[in-house]
Amino acid sequence: MVEVDGIENLEFKWGKKRGTGGTNTKVQFYESFTYDGLDYTLYDNVYLHKEGEPLPYLGKLIKIWETASRLKKVKVLWFFQPSEISNYLFVELAHPNEVFLASGEGVGLANINPLEAIAGKCNVVCISKDDRNPQPSDEDIQMADYVFYRTFDVGQRIILDKIDGKIAGIDVKFIFNQSGSLKPCSIHNFSVDEPASENAIETNGRVVMSKLNSSENQIPEDDRQVEQKPVVAENGFNHKAEENSDVKASSVKPNLSLQQEVVPGVVSESGELAKTNDRSGDRTGLSLKIKANADSKLKNPSGEEIGCVNQVKSEEKLKSVKDTVELDERPHKKAKLDNSVKVYSDKETTKCATEPCGTAKIPSKKLKIDDKFKKSTNCKSPAVPSNDGIKTGDKAMEVTRRPDSDRSKWFGELPWEESLQDAHEFGKLVLFQNLDPAYSSAEVEDIVWNAFSETCRAKMVQQTAYSSPHFGQAFAIFKSREVAEDVIKKLDERCLLLPNRRPLVASIPNPCFSRKQSMFAGHLIVDKLKSQREMKEAVSTSHSSQPNTVEYDMAMEWFLMTERSNQFWKKLYEQQGKELKKLRVNFKSK
Amino acid sequence: MESGKQNEYAAFEEKVRRTVYLDNLSPNVTESIVRTALDQYGTVKSVEFIPNYLEPRNMPQCALVEMEKGKQAKVVISTLSEFPFMMSGMPRPVRARAAVAEMFGDRPRKPGRQIRICWLDTADPDFEVASKLKQLVKRHATETAVMLKVNSKSCIKIHSFQGV
Repeated sequence: MVEVDGIENLEFKWGKKRGTGGTNTKVQFYESFTYDGLDYTLYDNVYLHKEGEPLPYLGKLIKIWETASRLKKVKVLWFFQPSEISNYLFVELAHPNEVFLASGEGVGLANINPLEAIAGKCNVVCISKDDRNPQPSDEDIQMADYVFYRTFDVGQRIILDKIDGKIAGIDVKFIFNQSGSLKPCSIHNFSVDEPASENAIETNGRVVMSKLNSSENQIPEDDRQVEQKPVVAENGFNHKAEENSDVKASSVKPNLSLQQEVVPGVVSESGELAKTNDRSGDRTGLSLKIKANADSKLKNPSGEEIGCVNQVKSEEKLKSVKDTVELDERPHKKAKLDNSVKVYSDKETTKCATEPCGTAKIPSKKLKIDDKFKKSTNCKSPAVPSNDGIKTGDKAMEVTRRPDSDRSKWFGELPWEESLQDAHEFGKLVLFQNLDPAYSSAEVEDIVWNAFSETCRAKMVQQTAYSSPHFGQAFAIFKSREVAEDVIKKLDERCLLLPNRRPLVASIPNPCFSRKQSMFAGHLIVDKLKSQREMKEAVSTSHSSQPNTVEYDMAMEWFLMTERSNQFWKKLYEQQGKELKKLRVNFKSK
Repeated sequence: MESGKQNEYAAFEEKVRRTVYLDNLSPNVTESIVRTALDQYGTVKSVEFIPNYLEPRNMPQCALVEMEKGKQAKVVISTLSEFPFMMSGMPRPVRARAAVAEMFGDRPRKPGRQIRICWLDTADPDFEVASKLKQLVKRHATETAVMLKVNSKSCIKIHSFQGV
């Protein structure tokens, strides 16, 4: 039913030729090709997939060729997701699906990749009001996977509204909407006779990733809301072009990192899904299917088995594809975690084998890589509830490193202080308290990742002489205000226990950034002297005070005060320590 | 890989030993002033001011000064504790202490530290305790803030006494 082979079997065919290479005439440029059932043309917008990465990249094919050694390559001009550049640029989105085209010069503009990295076509509509841009209709915009009208200059690292004549050497007319392409995506093997099932799907899949909400999209006829926004941009989903119209479901693109409810749904449904996917042509499969699968509690036994098997196989297939595909490193990318892929596959197969156990513990909102990281690196068996006798609905997790592939860090980060200010302004800043003071910032980030599946930038607050020895604090900058507020709410209502029975406390801090201090208690201002000597040599140098000066006596007073306050602090913290201990004793477990 | 981490951490710990924590610094004190001041005790390798975001505004500055040798750091600390040392103004002396790891902003992870976290259910008996703990922690934080305010008030008091 399903081919489990690697990439070699993905069907490929060259299309129209374009010319040969200048220096090396063995290089043959092309204008189009067919890959895995989808036709691609130069200047098409595509998804590229990188092994181990949850999110696919978005790019525009600007060059296609085959090298002398018969390797197929494409040069891709990148689109940026807002999250990838919002780390140091405030980005106000004109549209929830807005992306930014790369422009300018420098690292991050475009890369050459093997053609096999292409994971599907993507419908990106240009909504620029530029005269040269064929204006899309509202319908076009709604049908689009993404829209863009601004570019991100990778050299200057700013967002530009105006599009120049050329981007990356490509004439701007290819950047704008191509006149032929504005119609709703061509429908390949659309079968009209199954609206019912499609509707069925849609209700299931409607358990939406709240982030991208599809309410605005109304697709004609059946309410395809579901597949709209997916999740295309959603984390954790892998895309692959899926073109098969027959119920082969072989190219089911499971969301690899999806917490597999493996309530895979009926085969016929998968079939439907396959079909409906085709219908949207460019739309890469992700979505619908997977979502329907994941979130729905379709207890539909008939297809379950088969569906299950399908998924396993297709997962394997996808995995092998991933294994063989490489993607050019985007700038500053760090390597992914090896564990993730392996762990994933283990889990998948076991899950498949057993009865779909339980529902997603974490609300479907974060259909993410949770499970992967819930396991310890020794791959303990998943989904075994309760450890350590703590009767909890969720299991205790071992905090593992979050993947380093945080794209928002590609272009370097803003210095911490600026990020802090920026975050505070936009409400993305959270203060964590009651951490172990010995933790490092990276560990805080990991904890956040493991507990909330959210990435954040964290920094432990540096302790001073009068900081409490009992707990540490850290600032954390989240992606958005909503995420920050959500984290705080969760920690307030529920309870996240760190080791040593420390419940994590979170709040919105009110940090002060101004450094102006008009007065410093303790330093006498020698105004008189200044006026007398015109401040020529009135710079006081650093020195030790000699015992026979007035200065010394005054200094002694300060010493005294400091000592006294030291005593106070000591007492205070001792007291606090006692109170903490008293409470901790009450813990029943352990 | 692990040993690399351990080395990194060991190097960090060593750095901590060589570092002096300076306190009660006037806001006018800059890195060069600190360097010049402590140069007489040895070689100053680096000076890092600890940023203060959460505490009241008129707190004195603090800095971490990394000396070349641990011994130099000890000398600084003992001398400054015995004799009042003035920097950029007087008479409030600068205070020196041995630095601890938690004072550093960019510390590396401690290798081999495993963190296990878990979410507690509301039904869990421990949930109550944990909630109380959370309250307690918040209270402690407030207490600390109050102490700081009291502290700065008494500083101002002394200052006004000493002023002319």
